[in-house]
Amino acid sequence: MAHIKVVRRSMRPEEWTDLRFGWLKRHIYEAKWEIKNLMIRDARQVSEMEFEYYSEDYRPLNKGDMYFTPDGTAFIKADVNIPEEMQGKELWFSLKTAAEICVKVNGKYVGGVDPNRERMLLSPYVDDKKTLHFEMMGYNRSKPDDERNPESLSVRGCRQIFEGAYICTVNHAVQDLVWDFELLLDIAKSELFNEDYRAFLNRELNEAMNLIDFDSDELSGVEQAKKYLDEVVFANDNYKGSGDVALIAHSHLDIAYYWRRIHAVQKNLRTILIQLRLMDKYPDFKYTHTQPYVYETLEKYYPDVFEELKEKVAGGQFEPVGAMYVEPDCNVPSAESLIRQCLYGQQTYQRMFGKRVNNAWLPDVFGNSWILPQILKKSGVDYFVSNKMSTWNDTNRFPHNNFIWRGLDGTEVYACVPPTHFITWNMPSQIQENWEAYIDKDTGGQTMNMFGYGDGGSGCTEEMIELMHRFDKLSVMPKCEHMGGAEFLEKNLKNNKSLKVWDGELYLEMHRGTFTTKSNMKRANRRLEFKFRNAEILSVLRKEDNTEKITELYKKLLINQFHDILPGSHINPVYKDAMADYDEIEKELDRIIGSGSRYFNTLNFKREGIDFIPNKNGTATRYGKKGNWVVTNIPAMSSANVRALRSKGEWLTVGERVETPFYSIKFNKNGSIASLYDKELEREWVSGDFNKLKIYTDCPGNYDAWDILPNYKDKQIEINVESELELCEKDTESATFKTVLSTESSKWIMLIRVFRKSRGIEVENIVDWNEKHKLAKAEFSLNVLSREALCDTSAGFIKRETHKNTSWQQARFECCHHKWCDISETDGGVAIINDGKYGVGLDNNTISLSLLRATIRPDVESDIGHHDFCYMIMPHSKGAVEAKINNIAYQYNCELIKSDAQYSGETFEPLFIQAMKMSENKKMTVIRLSEQNGARGKIQLPYKVKLLNMLEDVEGESDVIEYKPFEIITIGLDN
Amino acid sequence: MEKYVNEVLQPKIQGDGGWIEFQSFDGKILTVVFKGECSKCLILHRCVEWIKEQIKTDLKKDVEINAIRKRPYFQDV
Repeated sequence: MAHIKVVRRSMRPEEWTDLRFGWLKRHIYEAKWEIKNLMIRDARQVSEMEFEYYSEDYRPLNKGDMYFTPDGTAFIKADVNIPEEMQGKELWFSLKTAAEICVKVNGKYVGGVDPNRERMLLSPYVDDKKTLHFEMMGYNRSKPDDERNPESLSVRGCRQIFEGAYICTVNHAVQDLVWDFELLLDIAKSELFNEDYRAFLNRELNEAMNLIDFDSDELSGVEQAKKYLDEVVFANDNYKGSGDVALIAHSHLDIAYYWRRIHAVQKNLRTILIQLRLMDKYPDFKYTHTQPYVYETLEKYYPDVFEELKEKVAGGQFEPVGAMYVEPDCNVPSAESLIRQCLYGQQTYQRMFGKRVNNAWLPDVFGNSWILPQILKKSGVDYFVSNKMSTWNDTNRFPHNNFIWRGLDGTEVYACVPPTHFITWNMPSQIQENWEAYIDKDTGGQTMNMFGYGDGGSGCTEEMIELMHRFDKLSVMPKCEHMGGAEFLEKNLKNNKSLKVWDGELYLEMHRGTFTTKSNMKRANRRLEFKFRNAEILSVLRKEDNTEKITELYKKLLINQFHDILPGSHINPVYKDAMADYDEIEKELDRIIGSGSRYFNTLNFKREGIDFIPNKNGTATRYGKKGNWVVTNIPAMSSANVRALRSKGEWLTVGERVETPFYSIKFNKNGSIASLYDKELEREWVSGDFNKLKIYTDCPGNYDAWDILPNYKDKQIEINVESELELCEKDTESATFKTVLSTESSKWIMLIRVFRKSRGIEVENIVDWNEKHKLAKAEFSLNVLSREALCDTSAGFIKRETHKNTSWQQARFECCHHKWCDISETDGGVAIINDGKYGVGLDNNTISLSLLRATIRPDVESDIGHHDFCYMIMPHSKGAVEAKINNIAYQYNCELIKSDAQYSGETFEPLFIQAMKMSENKKMTVIRLSEQNGARGKIQLPYKVKLLNMLEDVEGESDVIEYKPFEIITIGLDN
Repeated sequence: MEKYVNEVLQPKIQGDGGWIEFQSFDGKILTVVFKGECSKCLILHRCVEWIKEQIKTDLKKDVEINAIRKRPYFQDV
């Protein structure tokens, strides 16, 4: 017997309501007058304010024409005489478009239209002659501002059909009713609300619609329907909701992502214009906007709009938030970079608005380093906001939303990890979802709910504000209060004694691939961070004022630390822009660093062990350059002549085992080490695969550039040995062994260096990488029993558990470290020191250093091409601190330079000089000291120094520097 | 033609998150591979028409375009 599925063909009442709602929306415009003399000129943006035009002149643009081109900007203009029948009325401009368009009327930028909004008010800009001169600048992106808006998604694509532009009048009665229905239908469709109330709504919304005569052209009955909703639906307070939600208007703006940084200038302009217009219409509307950098671009390129923004800031409607210059990645940048984010960010706000902000606003950042609380607090920041740990964690539910975050050094800041996404459109269901997800209902005060379209800006809409104005009329909704970001933080977190403490890093259980994706960028970022250090120190020592130039270059580095740039989650042109910036920064820093007759040690401790110095007649090779490995012994902040030594006899034996002064090594043909016997410490370091290159299939799904999944080890690909390991270079200080490995598509040269005078074993990897969806790791299984690893953060180390007892350790199968990580017993261990790698897996006794990925989204050819990078295997006695791994890793990353500079000041040991610079006011030398070994102590100085915060404000004076574990201290010396 | 695809069209397409690769040209039919955002674009045919127009304008050639999409298998659109 055939089984027949019965399909209901008649409409349910709620479907009938939806259908009529669609018809109702068609009557929002009372009258529409088409602008028929539009002209368009296609172009492509080539810099922040420069465009390459595709034609000499404009051409007509008519309804039905194609407009916009890939990566194109279109300039559209028209002169309009307002038709007589529309004069004297409230006029709107309407353009339904998939593009993002900034609109200028009669010479002034006044608003914007985009996929999230199709109209803007015109009346205030109509001149006495009743004419309107339109100039529009639109850019159409294949990826809309906000993919979460289904309407945006449905119209994406580079080539669009022009649907016409109109001058219109709006039927406000219909529009009001549409907003009522929008609000109530959202509740009716959401399972988050009371079932009986939803049944009530479905019934009564149908009744309200019944009062409208959709067959009549006049659409009679709108007033009656509105009255019905007021008297029956809004008046019903039988259904009680609960909750207390703060609504913060905000638009997330990725400086670069599926667009280049140059495009963010106009994305920001449009976003701000739209918010300014909303502020004109709704005096109670407050909007929260972050990133001082984007304020700078507005000030520079659109000064009139910036002046208007300043007025709104002064009036309290426009709220600058976020102390950091951009919203940086908070895993990979060093402590000094994060400090500069705050310094230059706060400085910018101070200059523009006469005030600093007391919050860090990082909604989309992929986890946050444990060093942040101290940096924030000492940069005038008491409050921290970041969303992702609550909404994106893949394994554990982060246990707090409003809490206190205790940093690595013990510094505490108030923290808010809002329960839901930072992009919502202020729908009741989204607000209810936020309240239900809010963990700290009993202790945290209100919950934070951000609303506004974003990713590429755009922000709030009239509808979002209109809905907000109706929330109070609905007893079923949580109590809602619209406020600014700072107001929320101070109202709910300040002096809140009930808040719980989170003492640890804010690890995001997702996006673990961003520690590794775009390997060349990460290496450049590390190299430049150290070059900035050298350039600033030498500028101080030579009494050169390079402040303006260095600030300009630093800002460029900081922009490229944005959380979709440095982490690698962007399209290919963004990568090219970043690499061009890095080249430019490096050239300028090299020029500032200059040269000299002697080698200068910019480290504030003795530079000892080995260094590679370039020399075209040298007998060794590193990074493709000839040179010599030399044994250095240069005191802190001093110079010396350094020369390669002549032979002192044989120090290396190569046979079945390789014998060095420190080790007896048994290599495998592929460069992995079968045995590493330590002659000095009389122990074996290897227990399994050691320095073994492994390449895994790495298919994380849609978040390709972002994620590594826990199952990445499931599939390993075969690596062939093209050329077995053999000695290829040897001199008085070093010997290099070479093996050539390959996969089907890639070639991997591994150079392993052993030294006469160093315990380190350096591995250089020269790779022609042509893989897809692969993750290369170097794995080290150590003959060491320990349940924890130490990981450098750039300003102290974190202890991370290496066992997998609970879901919290299991989720941290890949984490971020900086220059080194180490697993040790009390009397010895092994550190792996790198010069630009950040991702690492720590699994019992195994360290797996992530080397390269090969993702295809957003960048189809991410990481494809040539790579050359090193890491150093450093077995040692005792623990990492006693073995001075911090010093060794600093030296490994800090280039030995030539300079005739001289320094006669304190060296501040055992602290590390993280930076030495001219103060921003040019009256002091600022020295940033960092405790990195987890110790407490004091340094007696022969003179008094000023004690500063990280913004270089003087907070005291002392001749004693007292420090505690992992503290970062800033002092000032008068010039 | 290959140079034109790589040097003129590719930067523009990439600027929008797309990707175009030259595969072959027999004097009449240009075969190109679309990856990235182009591979899942619902209105790619409009872009292909635009490419034809561009080639006609810049290279003075009438070509047919054989557009091959290579969409990552993990993308659901």
